[in-house]
Amino acid sequence: MSQLIEVRDIAKSYRQRQGSQTVKALGGVSFSVQRGEVLGLLGPNGAGKTTTIKTICGLIVPDSGTVTIDGFDVQRERLKALRSISAVLEGNRNLYWRLTVRENLEYFAGNRGASRRQVRAQIEELLRQFRLADKGNELVNHLSRGMQQKLAIAVALLAGSEIILLDEPTLGLDVEAGYEVRQLLRDIANNQGRTLIISSHDMPVVQDLCQRVVIISGGRVVADDQVSNLLKLFATRAYQVTLGAPLSSAQLSRLQARFTASIDHPAKTVVRVNLEHGEDIYELIEILRLERTPVEAIDRTTINFEQVFLQVINGAKPLEETHAL
Amino acid sequence: MLYNVLVANSRKVIIEMQRYLPNTLSLVATFYIIFLAMFFGISIIGDPATAEANIQFVIISNAFWFLAIMAMTSMGWEVTTEATRGTLEQLAMSPVGLPAILLMRMVANIATQLVIIAAMLVLVMWTAGQWLNFDLAMVPILLPTLISMIGIGYVVAGLSIIFKQIQALLQIIQFVFLGMTFVPLSVLPWLELAPFVKGVDLTRQVMTQGLGLGDLGALDWLSLIANAAVYFSLGLVFFRWCERVARRQGLLGQY
Repeated sequence: MSQLIEVRDIAKSYRQRQGSQTVKALGGVSFSVQRGEVLGLLGPNGAGKTTTIKTICGLIVPDSGTVTIDGFDVQRERLKALRSISAVLEGNRNLYWRLTVRENLEYFAGNRGASRRQVRAQIEELLRQFRLADKGNELVNHLSRGMQQKLAIAVALLAGSEIILLDEPTLGLDVEAGYEVRQLLRDIANNQGRTLIISSHDMPVVQDLCQRVVIISGGRVVADDQVSNLLKLFATRAYQVTLGAPLSSAQLSRLQARFTASIDHPAKTVVRVNLEHGEDIYELIEILRLERTPVEAIDRTTINFEQVFLQVINGAKPLEETHAL
Repeated sequence: MLYNVLVANSRKVIIEMQRYLPNTLSLVATFYIIFLAMFFGISIIGDPATAEANIQFVIISNAFWFLAIMAMTSMGWEVTTEATRGTLEQLAMSPVGLPAILLMRMVANIATQLVIIAAMLVLVMWTAGQWLNFDLAMVPILLPTLISMIGIGYVVAGLSIIFKQIQALLQIIQFVFLGMTFVPLSVLPWLELAPFVKGVDLTRQVMTQGLGLGDLGALDWLSLIANAAVYFSLGLVFFRWCERVARRQGLLGQY
C-alpha cells in the first residue's frame, strides 16, 4: 500500500466569540493513511476529530502544519487535492430536503462536473446497492433518518473519489439502520478499494470496520496503531476468576499487594485481575491454594474496543508509553 | 466541466422554484403590485403631460430594480440558506470551487428571473397600455450590466459567508439599488462609476427612446465593459478573500 494522505503537525486554535481567549483545538497532530486503508479517527467530545477531518477536506486552514492528499498540498493546491476527496460531514444535513433522492445524487455529481448521462448507470446501481431503488423519486424530507444517511453516503460514493471521510456515520440511527449502514461501509471497504476515514463514537463500528485507529485527545494523538494490536495489548492481561468460597483476609492482603485486582460478591466471589505477564497466573493460583479455595471458572475477560478506547483516553499517553506499562 | 455545473444548477433552480411555488408566486405578485402602485401614483398625482414618459420610465426602472436585487442579493441568500441547511461545506468541497458553483447558480437564477421579468413586463405594459421598444441592441448592453451586478453579488455573498445573518444589510441594499436604478445619469453623472448604472441608463434609453447600437459611442462601450470587468474582478477577489477568512476561522460549517 502506498501513502495517500499525510497529516503533518497540524495545529489549530480558535478565538472565542466573546473575549480574547483562544481555545486550542489541535496541538500538532500527525499521522498518515495508506491507499485502501480503513482508518478510525477517535476521541472524546472536543478532542479535535472534526477539526482534523475538516482540515483534511480543506474546509479549515490550520495555523501551522500541512496536509497532503496524493501529493497535493490541501492549502496550496486545494482544488486538485479535492478531486480525491468526498465526505459525509453532517449526515442528513448534507442533503437538499426538497429535492428527490435521484435529484440529490444528480445535483452533487453535476457540481463535480459530471453530466446526468455520465452518472445515470452508477446512480441506478447505487440505489439498488443501498436499497433505495423504490425511493428514487421520493423527496428527501419524506425519508427516514437511516435512509437519509444512506443517501448521504451514496452521494459521497458517486463522486468517485479515492478517499471518503465519514464523520459519525451512525450517529442518531436506530439499531437496524446503524447495522445496515455498517454493512454498507464494510462492503465499500472490502469490495471497492476506497480509502475510508471514519470518525465515530460507535466503537463496535470502529472495531468491525477499521484496520487502524488514530486516537486524539486534547488536540494531540495519544494512540496510532492497528485495532488488533490495541485489542491484544489490553486483552492479554485481563482475567476473571469465579470462586466457590470467599477469600480469607490473608489471601485478600496478598492479592492486593501483588496484583491490581477487584473483587465482587454478588452471589459468588469474582476476582478480576490484570496480569502483567502470562506466567503470573501461577502466583494467583498459589494465593488461592493457601486456603484451598475452590475455583469454579477462570475466564480471560474479552475486552472490547470501547474499553481499550477508554483506557487509552484515561491514560492519555502515547502508545509506546502504554506498551511499557 | 463548467457546462455540467451550469446544467445541474439550472435544474436545481427550476425544480426548487416549482417546489417552493408560494415563494415564486409572491415574488411575481410583489413585482406586479409595486408596479401598479407606481403606475396609479403617476396617473393620479403626476403631470398628465409627462405621464406617458414617466410610466415608461417607471416600468423599465422597476424591472431593473428587481433584476438588480435578484442578481446582487440572491447569491448572499444562497450562501445563508446553504449554511443553514448544512450543504455549504459540501459545495465548498467540490473540485470546481465554490466561486464557480455560485457563479453558475447565479447565471441559472438570472436566466430564470429574466424569463419571469420579461413575462411580467408584458403584463405590466398591457396594464399600463404603454408598449416599450424591445430591441436586440439591449443584449450587448445588458450582458456587461449583469456581469457588473454579479460582481456586487460576490461581495454580498462574501459578507454572508463570514457573517451569515446579513438580512438587515440586504434590506438596506435593496433601497440603495432602488435609488441607483431609478436615478438617470443625466441627474447624477458621477453614478456612471457605480456598478451597473451606466448599463441600466443605456437600456432605458433603448427601450424608451428607441436608441440603437449605432448610437452608442466608443466611450459608452468602454465605460460599460470597464465597469463590468472592474466590479466583477473586485467582487470575485473579495469573495475569495472572505472564503479564505471563513476557512481560517472555521466558519463554513457554522450558522
